[in-house]
Amino acid sequence: MNESILAVRSAVEELNLDDICALVETCLKQGFDPEIIIQEGISTGLETVGRKFEEGEYFLADLIMAGEVVKEAMPLLKERMNPGDGKGKGKVILATVSGDIHEIGKNIVGMILSANGFDVIDLGVDVPARKIVETVKETGARLIGLSALLTTMVGSIRDVVESSRTAGLRDRVKIVIGGACTSRDLCHEMGADDYGETAIDALRIFNKYVASA
Amino acid sequence: MHAIERVLNTLDGKPVDRVPTFCAMVEDRTFNEILGKPPISQEWLMTNPIARFVLDKWGPQITKPIFQTELNRALIKRIRAQVELGFDSVWAIHDETFTVIDHTTMVRFSGSVFNIQPDGYGNMTYMYREPGIKSREDFEAWPYWPDADDLAHRTYTFFKKVVAEYGQKTCLFGQGPTYGIQESLLWALGFEKMPVWIRKEKDLVKRYIDMNEEVCLKTNMALLDAGVPVIIQTDDFAFKSGPIMNPKMIDELFGPPYKRIIKAVHDRRGKYVLHSCGDNTRLFDTFISWGVDGLHAYENTSNVDIFKEKKLHGEKVTIIGGVGVDYLLTDRSQEIEVEEEVKRLIAELGPGGRFIIAPVHSLSTIPAHKLRVMVDAVKRFGTYPISL
Repeated sequence: MNESILAVRSAVEELNLDDICALVETCLKQGFDPEIIIQEGISTGLETVGRKFEEGEYFLADLIMAGEVVKEAMPLLKERMNPGDGKGKGKVILATVSGDIHEIGKNIVGMILSANGFDVIDLGVDVPARKIVETVKETGARLIGLSALLTTMVGSIRDVVESSRTAGLRDRVKIVIGGACTSRDLCHEMGADDYGETAIDALRIFNKYVASA
Repeated sequence: MHAIERVLNTLDGKPVDRVPTFCAMVEDRTFNEILGKPPISQEWLMTNPIARFVLDKWGPQITKPIFQTELNRALIKRIRAQVELGFDSVWAIHDETFTVIDHTTMVRFSGSVFNIQPDGYGNMTYMYREPGIKSREDFEAWPYWPDADDLAHRTYTFFKKVVAEYGQKTCLFGQGPTYGIQESLLWALGFEKMPVWIRKEKDLVKRYIDMNEEVCLKTNMALLDAGVPVIIQTDDFAFKSGPIMNPKMIDELFGPPYKRIIKAVHDRRGKYVLHSCGDNTRLFDTFISWGVDGLHAYENTSNVDIFKEKKLHGEKVTIIGGVGVDYLLTDRSQEIEVEEEVKRLIAELGPGGRFIIAPVHSLSTIPAHKLRVMVDAVKRFGTYPISL
């Protein structure tokens, strides 16, 4: 492995916001394809961050930092990529359910998914089921991530499930839930497809659905 | 044994006659059930066209004379409702942290922005919307930061009345107009930016923490001077799956101010309880090293194991909480389920003392009768020696 690519990977792993841009520039000057820098430097670095999070060495704030490091680097790489380059993993619609305006968890998931090649369509907070279904129709997205913190709003998850069924889309989309008040039991109760406890869980679940599509 | 003695002895690790109870506040719906609904709903008062017009035009100007006065009345009603439910100790808060901007928006002086919205039961509540401090310029220009001495004076006046009315009936856990130093920083900067600022804007973060520490210290002293025996501070250091940030970083950043605050409370013979939602398993040693007397909430929906914690730390700190608000204390549960869970918690956590049974949080979905069932069950089954 080239030292410059390794340095990019290390910067992501060590959450080095200060040096990431210079390190990416070095790789580009050395003639590396932006896609190689993304795959072997950034994505591999993010995998290590995810592993460290699951092992308890890194924390939520560190996931955010890793996302910020990647956000710094990506514009430099994207401007050197030819249109059509890059094989995205597909579209994911993210939303905090109707009646709930908590967005921290959703935003962390969005950041991790974006950094890992998903095209994230973030509908924001307090999103009615109708809006989510319309977005599925407009964008052709097959993955939906719903966030809920408030126990009082869990019924909104069922609304999304039912609305997608009424619209004839239920078989086409996978609905994944997460957030403080959610659980695997609630996932079954509401008729969703999967439950992720953490942002890294969410990434694993969406990767699984992409792989099996 | 009187409720106050029961609670204070438990916080001290001394023997008591029964497991004490603590009420983690009641929301408007619950206290309306206990004290009777107001003739005109709060929702209508805040959302009718005239109120909207007034709030949109003069929100900041009417915050203190009208909004805060009404809020103080409501906060005292909350305390009365908790006392009427028969809890040994109650959460009494003086929430003078907001300025109303318009009919949908409030800001907290510590730098965060909230929505004003209905709670679904005819009352109004608030919910975090976004950070108020998005740049260094925002921080320097933030106009809502209070004069700590003035705030402490008003806090003293508020709690002097509360202590006169309820100070002999229940053990007051008082919270001044302050929210936790860490969670205030989190809300002020936003979760996406807080980790970055902690690394890149160290001087500003330090100034922010110092300003919060000063407000906490001064208002806590006001509470103690007014006769409140226990200080409670909310500071949610964890999410459902674990700490928000590295425990070492938490200790480095927030340990020194918390140690000074807690020492000042202890120097005045007060007790200090920290409320932190989520799974704090990896933080309990840190909190104990700061000097806390009790910890609330051991949220049942997080990954924390309250029973394991009792074995690990039950002799060093008083465990407060355990009763879930996601199902058990809602309309959806059966009364017998509440009773059974209370018995289980008492049987597992009661022996050895240093346990105060309590809901893990306040929530608008908690009906008053479920809290009564909980309190009655503790009175029936919580007598020492525990024989369940």
